[in-house]
Amino acid sequence: MIELNELTDAAQKAFPAEKLSPSRDESWQLAAKMGWLMVRLPEEDGGLGFTREASTALHLEMGRVLSAMPLIPAQLGLQAIAASESFAERADWLERMAGGDYAPLPMLSARLTEGSDGSVSGTISGVFEADMAVAVVAQLPSGYALVPLDAPGVSLMERAIWDPSRRLFDVVLDGYAPRLMLTDAAGAKALHDRLSGEAQLALAADCIGAAGAALDMTIEYMKVRRQFDRPIALFQALKHRAADMKTRIVVAEALLWKRARDEQASVTELAAAKVLAAEAFRFVTEEMVQLHGGIGLTDEHPCHLFLKRALLNLQLCGNADLWNERVGRQALG
Amino acid sequence: MTDTADLEALRSEVRSFLQAEAPTGWRDASRTQDDFVRTQRDWFGKLVRAGYAIPHWPAEYPGGGRSLAEQKVIYEELAGADCPRLLLSFVSTYHAFATLHECGNAEQKARYLPKILEGETWCQGFSEPGAGSDLAAIKTRAERKGDVYVINGQKVWSTMAQFADKCLLLARTSSDGVKQAGITYLLMDMKAPGVTVRPIHQIQGDEEFAEIFLDNVEIPVSERVGEEGKGWAVAQATLASERGLTLMELSYRMRGALGRVAKLIREHGHEDDRGVLRDFGTLVTQVDAVCAIADQFLDNRINGIERMGDASIVKNAYSRALRAYSALGLRLGGMDEQYMAPITFGDLNTGNWMADFMNSYAWTIAGGSEEVQRNIIAERMLDMPREPKGWVL
Repeated sequence: MIELNELTDAAQKAFPAEKLSPSRDESWQLAAKMGWLMVRLPEEDGGLGFTREASTALHLEMGRVLSAMPLIPAQLGLQAIAASESFAERADWLERMAGGDYAPLPMLSARLTEGSDGSVSGTISGVFEADMAVAVVAQLPSGYALVPLDAPGVSLMERAIWDPSRRLFDVVLDGYAPRLMLTDAAGAKALHDRLSGEAQLALAADCIGAAGAALDMTIEYMKVRRQFDRPIALFQALKHRAADMKTRIVVAEALLWKRARDEQASVTELAAAKVLAAEAFRFVTEEMVQLHGGIGLTDEHPCHLFLKRALLNLQLCGNADLWNERVGRQALG
Repeated sequence: MTDTADLEALRSEVRSFLQAEAPTGWRDASRTQDDFVRTQRDWFGKLVRAGYAIPHWPAEYPGGGRSLAEQKVIYEELAGADCPRLLLSFVSTYHAFATLHECGNAEQKARYLPKILEGETWCQGFSEPGAGSDLAAIKTRAERKGDVYVINGQKVWSTMAQFADKCLLLARTSSDGVKQAGITYLLMDMKAPGVTVRPIHQIQGDEEFAEIFLDNVEIPVSERVGEEGKGWAVAQATLASERGLTLMELSYRMRGALGRVAKLIREHGHEDDRGVLRDFGTLVTQVDAVCAIADQFLDNRINGIERMGDASIVKNAYSRALRAYSALGLRLGGMDEQYMAPITFGDLNTGNWMADFMNSYAWTIAGGSEEVQRNIIAERMLDMPREPKGWVL
């Protein structure tokens, strides 16, 4: 627990709440220096060997400042490589990544086909900040592989998104011949489940952190904004909405920590925590814009950054409809 | 402090007791008020004898002296065993106990606390027609005449007052100063001349609450708790007596009862209806999250890090989930639910979806309404300004 508090304190010092979406590249260098890129990597591999709770705490703090650096895809990519015992260049890559090389896991699914010669073509979507990446960890038809972005048959296409706090790319493969396999086709399922659960938790934490910051900012505004000779925070109709925002966040956060601590939690259970957190984040940011009034519609005010991040987070790693249906099916037995 | 091994030993001890002794078929045996009361009295007696009825009382009472962590284990097991909740004795073992233990004199404690274990039941005479969320606005008067107070007025929403032997009564001895001053706390015999109880017939067919009419009721001065005019502070002890165990127990019971919704989905052939599955999944996650927050709340209390307003969040989260649970059951049950079916007294998740749905309102209204809880969250957690006092129409 002390370890966790220290990590949170360090994160809040390095990334103060008042500076939203700090420079991506400076953040990345800072994160590398503080060892965050290796936070979950076992100590024998040169990492910090921290628990799932620790990375959850970090992602929560990065959500709070609408972090522009791709810590979540980076950690997932690293875990994919670390999990591969058969990958000959494993140690080299882990070392490179500790030094700041970025090999992300995509946060959306890929549409790929395999040619008769084993070459792969198609699109890998949901690659964050691919312009700074050296490779992407992708689930190919023949298993998980590390796809270097400078390899023949690999190209990048930026996809403009509404969320200004992040950049998203497609990696397009055209007759790419896989070389750096992390698993075979049979081993892909187990790795996918493991990474998927981790991704859900990390996104849930991002949502909770950001939602908390959105609520804080909204309350502050309500206390200073005066209409009818009083702060609007005095109006019970508005206070009750703020109370509901707080309730949604606190309840979703309770489920997040419960599942983060539960090593037995299934992918569906972890995804349920993400859906609840992302829905809470969406609710809070919709209210944030409304409670700010006209200023909330302007580009110069940060409200829209929160709203747009919330709406994108909802779509990453499976949306609410998909996971709610699976939770329902699982509970039906 | 209780270590994990001790807690697990307690857990298996309670579990063995419940496997042997927990009533089965009590829902079918609680179709009338009389049967409900009999079931409640039997089960309370068994729990007292087993030492699980009053874990929060001090160690000098049999079954008392349990830490909050131990209490949590006991309630988790009670919820898991799906045995009847202790409703009839709730005000007695929590509200009356806390009031007497913290504010009563030695003579009052000696006279009343042991009798609670013998089955004497208490009700609470707090709310009035004009004093609900604004409890300090009570008008029931207590006039001192020699060695007695003479009481005149009306109480309402008194849980199971029709079965109670005694009443925790708030009455006004003075109208001077702020409304919280001048309230006096009294212990009233429900069989005293001038006490009339009228059960309130509720929309779901239950009679969980009653009105109490007080017509020149005499209460000896020795039955006063605390000083005259200082009853508001005593009332805070009464209201703070419940420490989050109820909401945790209810949350776990609701999670156990999700199977009732699953059964409905299968019976109506909705197993492959994606919309229904989504709604069910949404409910499952909502209920899981309520269990998580109720757990976290108790853990924070055990560790002494509870924050102002935490209890309000748990209550609002639970009561909204209960509404959503019963509303989904009602929707999936369709027209079937509009035909009258027997109700079960004393249970919130009975599978009679109309009754459960209407019953769920008790939790958004009673015990500090949802709106009052929102005020507490906004003003005490989020530090938003309070409305100015002294507003006059």
